[in-house]
Amino acid sequence: MSKRLGLLLAVALALTMIAPASAQEPVTFIWGSYGDPVQLYAAVVTDGVSFNVVNQGCEALLAFDGSTTNVIPSLATELTANEDATVWTAKLREGVTFQDGTPFNADAVVFNFEAWRFTDNPYHWEANFFEYYDNMFGGFDDASLITSVEAVDDYTVQFNLSDSYAAMPNTLAMPMFQINSPTAIQEHGDLYGTPEVGYVCTGPYRFVEWIPDDHVTMDLWDGYWGEVEGNIERIIYQVIPDNAARFAAIQAGAIHFMENASPEEQAIIESDPNLYMMLRPSLNVLYLAFNYRIEQFRDPLVREAISLAINRQAYADTFFVSAEVANTYTPPMLWGYNPDVPMPEYDPDRAVELLAEAGYPDGFSEVDVLALNEDGTCCTDEVEETIPLTLYWQPVTRPYNPDGEGLGQAEAADLAAVGLEVQLDNGGDWASFLDLGRRGQLLGLYNLGWTGDSGDPDNFSGYFFSQCNQATQGYFDFPEVCGLLTRAKTLTTIEEREPLYQQADALLAEYNGRLAIAHGQVPLVIRSNVTGWVPNPLGTELVRFVSIE
Amino acid sequence: MARYIIRRTLETLPVLFGASVLVFLIVHLIPGGPESVLLGERVSEENVRQLRERLGLDRPLPEQYLIYMSNVLQGDLGNSIAGNVPIINELRQRFPATVELTICALAIAVGVGVPLGVVSAVRRGSWIDTGTMIGAMVGISMPIFWLGLLLLWIFGVQLNLLPFIGRLSPNVVIETRTGLHTVDAILSGNWSALGDAIIHLILPAITLSTVPIALIARITRSAMLEVLHMDYVRTARAKGLHERVVIREHALRNALLPVVTVIGLSLGGLLSGAVLTETIFSWPGMGRWLFNSIQGRDYPIVQSITLIVTFLFVGVNLVVDLSYAWLNPRIRYE
Repeated sequence: MSKRLGLLLAVALALTMIAPASAQEPVTFIWGSYGDPVQLYAAVVTDGVSFNVVNQGCEALLAFDGSTTNVIPSLATELTANEDATVWTAKLREGVTFQDGTPFNADAVVFNFEAWRFTDNPYHWEANFFEYYDNMFGGFDDASLITSVEAVDDYTVQFNLSDSYAAMPNTLAMPMFQINSPTAIQEHGDLYGTPEVGYVCTGPYRFVEWIPDDHVTMDLWDGYWGEVEGNIERIIYQVIPDNAARFAAIQAGAIHFMENASPEEQAIIESDPNLYMMLRPSLNVLYLAFNYRIEQFRDPLVREAISLAINRQAYADTFFVSAEVANTYTPPMLWGYNPDVPMPEYDPDRAVELLAEAGYPDGFSEVDVLALNEDGTCCTDEVEETIPLTLYWQPVTRPYNPDGEGLGQAEAADLAAVGLEVQLDNGGDWASFLDLGRRGQLLGLYNLGWTGDSGDPDNFSGYFFSQCNQATQGYFDFPEVCGLLTRAKTLTTIEEREPLYQQADALLAEYNGRLAIAHGQVPLVIRSNVTGWVPNPLGTELVRFVSIE
Repeated sequence: MARYIIRRTLETLPVLFGASVLVFLIVHLIPGGPESVLLGERVSEENVRQLRERLGLDRPLPEQYLIYMSNVLQGDLGNSIAGNVPIINELRQRFPATVELTICALAIAVGVGVPLGVVSAVRRGSWIDTGTMIGAMVGISMPIFWLGLLLLWIFGVQLNLLPFIGRLSPNVVIETRTGLHTVDAILSGNWSALGDAIIHLILPAITLSTVPIALIARITRSAMLEVLHMDYVRTARAKGLHERVVIREHALRNALLPVVTVIGLSLGGLLSGAVLTETIFSWPGMGRWLFNSIQGRDYPIVQSITLIVTFLFVGVNLVVDLSYAWLNPRIRYE
């Protein structure tokens, strides 16, 4: 038997040597991806893998510059606003065509925006949800912040808004608002973006093939308007879902690049001359949230005690390859960050004192759940039930939380040390965790986080706390912060807006409404023969700048 | 026989119906929905309401079920919720990947497991028997992910001898006819691609075959031990037949019935996909697809795969039952 197997292996290996007499293989960059794209029409997706793919072949009106969140021209050469930021005018780049030969012009831009906005548009398909449009522009149809998009001439587009919107340049640079070929969308209908069709855009790499859960292939397109600085002729996104297998693949040279190395792998990378590591600047936050239906958490002394009991620095050192302890919701790399907010302390002794002051000299292991008002808002004074104190850990890996279970256990141990005995729970799985969170049913403490999409603080603290009089997750409502953030949205200059975001973050930190823990940097592992990689906090990293030596 | 086959085939209909109702209920009753996964951290009540309405999830469950089943009966498995991808298209790619891996793994399992079981039984009490049974115990007990990663590390990384990602190397292209890369490579005369497809199969197929090898070896051994003491085996020996002929023609053939049952069950199980093996070796098969779809609450995919797997299981069982008559002509179907 072993002889037969040996023979089979030998024959198979020999067969692989029979290379067809074909032309030289293209310079191929293999990206080891942790997952499969969901769709390749950026307007209808929200996952990072899909964006990693489409970013190589599609472009928005503006782009993010290198390793920053600053915007630079892309398909638009210029974007200007009127005085109150309610009318934005984009001058489009001339001489650009889509990969199918369709000319890029104002009509193409109008076509894309109208398909996203109008729910009765024939290209606003029932089967897809244009979530980011809804999210960034406040809704569809008449609810949309954009009231009209007009083609002023062939290469000028005017966006008319119902309200001031200072974050417009950053929003228009987001991959979700990449301009796709109207011809391709009309031709393929709701199959556009699926494995059979892929994307048709204006970028340097055109779609070739997508074998689901296996790979996506893109080839260099010779009709690209811009400059391709690297030497990559083909990009293959190879799906390798298992973390250990993906790391083994880069060690073996089977892939050139991967995201999310673990702290244990860091030492191996440092000792392997074939690999090097870069860090993606952090644009995220990990936090510990309170559910305000729990009577004990409505007491500022208890919240402060919990803040003092958790050892943020230890979490940052243990569970991340690289992370900094968070003093505010907003990460330091984003304008609007407030460096004057003091770093949270780790002081378990003081935590015990505060708990005693709050009436819990021995801590507690059970909490009281308050009854909701009739309209579903929080809360009456009536205690509905008493339940065990529970800490919900995230049952999923995120850039802001690489080890949800480990973090939960560490927090539980720290809390136990000050007399707070928590039960650990993961809510079931990610879907049910999110569902419980949305319905206010994570009755206890829970970890969650956020990764920014646009590089504007309105998409950070603004996203969570600027819906006034509407309690967000965990029934948390902070009108004073909301007022600041809402006002910041309407101002047009960074100089005017920045103090408001800083003030909002200072208030959030003082109130201990949600406890910011850390801002994690995503470790990127790269083969040594690869040059030109530019990590971007938003993850818009472009292979057109990369070379393989 | 024909009547039996028709009857068994008709019997599959209530099984399929029952399975479809059960799975439909289970996937809809577990907490969380596709809208939670799709919206992620930015989930809000209004977003959820809009998305549920758009996906038709706001309708009563019986109505959703009827819509789904009427589409299935018309040959339309629907589209995935997450990417709006036609399920039938993805199935065309995933199912051959699973079939190819299953056939390879099962061929290894039968090729190794049956001879081991026979030798163990014939040499009962010897070191071969003891070694085989210990090996079988280890094979059943060993975590698949551990074995897979170990093989990957040794043969893929340290020795750099075998590939361990996906079904083909980058830039290797095979004209798709059946979806089975080995078959397609042969049909198109692409020998280098054939070799590439085979060496990609080796590590995942070996990993996947360990449990079936152990099961088959143990069942073969116990079945052989039973028949080796039968009168007809003694008679065959008394007639002066060569021991090899006695074992192969008289003992093994009669011992095969339970072995075939185990092979059939293993085949059915393997065809529904092997999540761990597929994940470790980045194999784009049915198991990982089902697993990811359950996590993402992609109801149409979960329901479609379950229906197909149920159908396969029933089909494999039927084939196994029919093979009994071939193995033992005394069995008759009424």
